[in-house]
Amino acid sequence: MAERLLTFSIFRYNPNTPEIKPYMQEYKLEEMPGMTLFVALNKIREEQDPSLMFDFVCRAAICGSCAMLVNGKPRLACKTLTKDLPSRITLLPLPVFKLIGDLSVDTGTWFRHMSLKTEAWIHTTREFDPRAREERMDNETALKIYEAERCIECGCCIAGCATANIREDFLGAAGINRVARFMLDPRDERSPQEYFEVVGTEEGAFGCVGLMACEDNCPMGLPLQMQLAYVRRKMAAAGLAARPQTRAC
Amino acid sequence: MNTQEKLLTRNPRADMLVDLVELASGILLVGFLWTHMLFVAAILLGVTTFDRLSAFLDEYYLSYIGIPFILLVALVHIVVAGRRIPNKWKEQRIILRHSKMLGHTDTWIWVFQTITGMAILVLAGIHVWMVLTGWPIRAVTSAGRIQSFLWFYIILLLAGEYHAGFGLYRQFVKWGWINRHTIGAVLKTITVIIVALGAVTLWAFMRLGGAQ
Repeated sequence: MAERLLTFSIFRYNPNTPEIKPYMQEYKLEEMPGMTLFVALNKIREEQDPSLMFDFVCRAAICGSCAMLVNGKPRLACKTLTKDLPSRITLLPLPVFKLIGDLSVDTGTWFRHMSLKTEAWIHTTREFDPRAREERMDNETALKIYEAERCIECGCCIAGCATANIREDFLGAAGINRVARFMLDPRDERSPQEYFEVVGTEEGAFGCVGLMACEDNCPMGLPLQMQLAYVRRKMAAAGLAARPQTRAC
Repeated sequence: MNTQEKLLTRNPRADMLVDLVELASGILLVGFLWTHMLFVAAILLGVTTFDRLSAFLDEYYLSYIGIPFILLVALVHIVVAGRRIPNKWKEQRIILRHSKMLGHTDTWIWVFQTITGMAILVLAGIHVWMVLTGWPIRAVTSAGRIQSFLWFYIILLLAGEYHAGFGLYRQFVKWGWINRHTIGAVLKTITVIIVALGAVTLWAFMRLGGAQ
């Protein structure tokens, strides 16, 4: 295999030194067989520029910390092979999320806010008995929950979403998928009306315009269209069934 | 939004209702547009058929009920679907940059959806005004209009059918009734057929003697 000489054009900006305006910096690197962007970026940092900032933990598409815009598309750097890319590769940090520096963004704050807002935990009145036998769940339900639970919170769906790019309060596919996960869970005792309070607005299910860049760019291949549509249908049914609340004033 | 505002203006169901109104008005308008195309295509069956159909719609007041109703639906649709169009310069810049960078077909389709929507607002407005001031609709007056403003009608046909086809596609995507690739293919086929029918109809009107 003839090795190519790759040119990386990488976004550089450090919020701690705002006097240096954002710019694109170029690095040249010889391609190696089976090279991922994870390998390439580490080589650049080790051999050419120790100041380059980017995030990695697991290298295996599990932790979701290495998402970035690869030639404009949200991708996981550890899952992207350089052989699938042209020899000129542009890397930008994910939009929407807070920039830490260069390619590193803070997805944690956004996802924590989303978890709190959607109250992403099992709501139950049942008391936990540590001595009781664990209850069984049928396999079909477990698999359905697991399908939504596969989300690694990398933020690719949020970065790819036009609505999330202009509307700060939009929960996006990651948020709505999270709600779908709890709706499916028989242990969660929230009523449709209670879910409606959480996602029955433009911040949630009804804010989605249906562009499906979330589904088309999800590195985990989650069925996001069906998850979004499921929550939208559920919320429409809940909203139509509810009586308008009496106003306080 | 501050707490007082939120408490005083809060209607928890408002966003959902607006979304449903967008769906209903859109479906009605697609239904109207396709029916309209079939009615206009009556010219292919001859001048007499076209004029008789027009006179029939007039006689039973269907035009006088249908036209104001559709205008009202269109106005509602402009308001509720138009709310999706980013109206701030900064937002428009973000959307354009985002679409260019992402290179994602569905995102581009939506960008053109907003552009065709605004084009239809202007073009259909002119079209309705022209038709109503030249009432009643007869093959000879229609032919005169089309012969004088052929490009106008070609653009209106393409913009209208694009907007209707992809608008309906988007609703299927959002509500998840059918797999999006299947419904996309079906709606593209329908749109191509309707546009072809429209093109043949325009050609038929061009061949008519016209009002001169």
